[in-house]
Amino acid sequence: MPWAKAEDFVELKERFPELEIVESGNSTSLHIKKESLIELLKELKNRGFKLFIDHSVVDLKDILEKEKDFRNAVKENLIAFPEDRLSRFQAFYILYNVDEKKRVMVKTRTDGTLPTVEKLWFAGKWAERECYDMFGIEYEGHENLVRAFMWDTYPYFPLRKDFPLEGFPEQDLPSLNEVLWGDRLEGTMNYERKHAIVPTLEDLEITEKKRLKKKAQIVLNWGPLHPGTHGTMWFLFDLEGERIVQTDVILGQLHRGVEKLAENEMYNQFLVYTDRMDYLSALCSNQAWVVAIERILGIEEDVPEKAKYIRTMMSELQRINSHLLWLGTYALDLGALTVFLYAFKEREKIMDILEGITGARLTISYPRVGGVRMDLPEGALEVIRAFIKRFPKELSDWERILTRNRIWLRRNKDVGVITPEDAYFYGVTGPVVRGSGIPYDMRKLEPYDAYAEVDFDIPVGDVGDCYDRYLVRIEEMRQSVRIVEQCLSKLEKIPRSAPFFAEVPKEKKLKLTIDGIGLKVPTGEIYSSGENPRGELGFYVFSMGGVKPYRVKVRPPSYYNLSIYPHLMKDRVIADAVTILASIDPVVGETDR
Amino acid sequence: MESVVAGVVIAVIKILVILGIVLGVGAYLTWVERKVAAHIQRRPGPMVVGWHGLLQPIADGLKLITKEDLFPRYGNKFLYNLAIVLALVPATLVFAVVPFGPEFELFGYRIKPILTDVNVALLLVFGLGSLAVYAIAIAGWASNSKYPLIGSMRKAGIIISYEVAITFAVMGPLILAGTLSTYEIVQRQIEQNLWYIWVQPIAFVVFLFSLLAETGRVPFDIQEAEAELVTGFTVEYGGMKFGLFPLVEWYVEVLSLSAIAVVLFFGGWSPINIPFMGFVDPLFFLGPFSPYVWFLLKVTVLFLFILWLHWTLPRYRIDQITEIAWKVMLPLALINIVLTAIIAPVVWR
Repeated sequence: MPWAKAEDFVELKERFPELEIVESGNSTSLHIKKESLIELLKELKNRGFKLFIDHSVVDLKDILEKEKDFRNAVKENLIAFPEDRLSRFQAFYILYNVDEKKRVMVKTRTDGTLPTVEKLWFAGKWAERECYDMFGIEYEGHENLVRAFMWDTYPYFPLRKDFPLEGFPEQDLPSLNEVLWGDRLEGTMNYERKHAIVPTLEDLEITEKKRLKKKAQIVLNWGPLHPGTHGTMWFLFDLEGERIVQTDVILGQLHRGVEKLAENEMYNQFLVYTDRMDYLSALCSNQAWVVAIERILGIEEDVPEKAKYIRTMMSELQRINSHLLWLGTYALDLGALTVFLYAFKEREKIMDILEGITGARLTISYPRVGGVRMDLPEGALEVIRAFIKRFPKELSDWERILTRNRIWLRRNKDVGVITPEDAYFYGVTGPVVRGSGIPYDMRKLEPYDAYAEVDFDIPVGDVGDCYDRYLVRIEEMRQSVRIVEQCLSKLEKIPRSAPFFAEVPKEKKLKLTIDGIGLKVPTGEIYSSGENPRGELGFYVFSMGGVKPYRVKVRPPSYYNLSIYPHLMKDRVIADAVTILASIDPVVGETDR
Repeated sequence: MESVVAGVVIAVIKILVILGIVLGVGAYLTWVERKVAAHIQRRPGPMVVGWHGLLQPIADGLKLITKEDLFPRYGNKFLYNLAIVLALVPATLVFAVVPFGPEFELFGYRIKPILTDVNVALLLVFGLGSLAVYAIAIAGWASNSKYPLIGSMRKAGIIISYEVAITFAVMGPLILAGTLSTYEIVQRQIEQNLWYIWVQPIAFVVFLFSLLAETGRVPFDIQEAEAELVTGFTVEYGGMKFGLFPLVEWYVEVLSLSAIAVVLFFGGWSPINIPFMGFVDPLFFLGPFSPYVWFLLKVTVLFLFILWLHWTLPRYRIDQITEIAWKVMLPLALINIVLTAIIAPVVWR
């Protein structure tokens, strides 16, 4: 387990007398009062906890109101400073020490205000905007405290416990024209109005007017529907000629409130929502979620070997699949039209294999808590073996078109350079951080399923430009093929009759079935993450017992990877916008959730 | 009087033939491009409309013509329509000075298979080529939209840069031939027993680069760059008005500049050349049609080469393109002029 030990922080006690160090089985957390939070975070950053993983808030309202729940939570040490019965929110920060390979969680309590960490980590700035949006936490000193996903005039905070799941349907939300200028334009089919009544669309006008006061010549709207953004993402570029002076990112076009849904669904029901977050790597997200629940249940060891190998193999196929989509669209963005079709042809084969095994192509939901949904069908292993035998040859064919191509090099070399310090500051993970030379890969740092037993390397770049990220992803595909090969040889040895779903010894205590109905998770919390093709997909699960989680925070790799985009775009031209964005490779389903 | 009437009739027939060939072939080149691209990408391409999709261009044309004619609300309608005319007319006019074959005699009239054999033909070609800038700049401006504007500015920047390079590049063949008339240039190459490609490889490379840049082919297709600018200056055009721009840029212009390249460097309608020795014609059995077939063959090969590049390479960035034009191509062309001046007496003899 990559969590720091309590003794690592003993000397901090002298500086922060009220600091509490709690080491539960699943995590290590430091409880600190709000006043000295920034001091502590700064100290931790100096001590090597440089990589920002995640920050969010848990609304404790329901717990504080119910005495029994409260006592349970206090017994499990879930709440920082339980003597404080008035502060409604508990904030947590997760940091990672890259050199010593350990993680720590910092917790604090608040009643609605927190100091901002934007000076320490830019990624924190985005996380804080999200918390402001969802919980209404005011961050003191935050430079740009506007809503992250909902629109400006939205009056509610959806992730608070008193916000109903179905929202307030009878209420008609006013358009921004009506709110800000008192316009009364009746009817949706009124073509006299210059803008639709959807408030987010009018956001554009406000934002653009704000922008135009600055000195840029043109404000270019890039998105929300633009082929270069690979999804419904929205960028505003302030242009001087073709040079970009400033970039704005507007998110929320695909916001579905996945975290709110998680609080109202059973553990296995939430599995299908993980498909729809990063829809290009559904199996990896499924696996990360399932592993997180298995860890909090403590049955990670009980999962049969066969299920572990199947999951690992399928995830790696999915990783190749996702990287192929990336490669195709990346080349397409840079004008190499043909590689796109080559990549998609191979991708189609993987899709067919996945469909043959799981019955679905995109939103798969194949793993289950305790194993997989069903056994591999007859012939699956042969098909996969045939595929991976051919695939490396295809890959080197494409590389011959691209890797040493002069145009390709000129478009990619020294474009969008991310230094290691930047990588920590912006909290990027996955191939983006590995392109900068930091071997940060959850498959090695906190191995789950069969990753501990298979042999593979982590490719890293040296400069951190787009070309390095390209090479890293290409090499990752080769490594995935290696992993799939090892899983295949292992699976061929395991008899067909071997179980693919866990048998739990204490059946009375834990009801583990494939459909997952009635699966109860004990009181506790966990932060567990898996390595998605886009980076570290983490799940912070806060459970108060029962069949539904109390709070689930998803750490979306694309969201934090995207936060470095405005920084990288400074003083670049529009043509680099596609290069850099595609090399970061965000998926909107995940940034917005 | 009779000769004037005959001259007019011959000219009208030539115009009709050339227009028919250029626009018809232009439309069918879309099919060729789609087929070539498809086979490069390991797929069959259009297969449904007609045998191997042979009727596809007609179906496409019908679809484009019957589409609603949309117009951006705050655009300038006059300029918007003028841009299309300005794009189509100069590109087609270039074919007025393309010689398709040697002079022949029919019913007692001596006919040159070239519309007008003017003595400043090449000047005309590059003059008309430069007019393309106006079409694109106006198209971008009249649309009243940001993407077209950026796209058209990019294209204007490229054309201005490469216009200089291409003009200096053709200086080499001009020095060797000593004339600006396209028909005469081919005649000189036949008389001198020399395709100018053998002594002008540098000029040919510069010409090829400029050809790609001016016609907006990969790796210089940044004016449309789907991923960044959607389709650049044609964003606000719809229906056949939209269809005309690629038709002009990708097919008519490529065709005309390829024809000029064949005239300048590959001896026009002459068969295979052995430098300073003579010509070998494996197609002698075609008799009087052999020169036309040779001309067509050379243009086709060049066109297919451009397609091959288009569907293989990524694209450059605007600053890199202009950098290549001014820092590499222009000095190369200038060096070439000096070299040509040194070897020219050998060729003239």
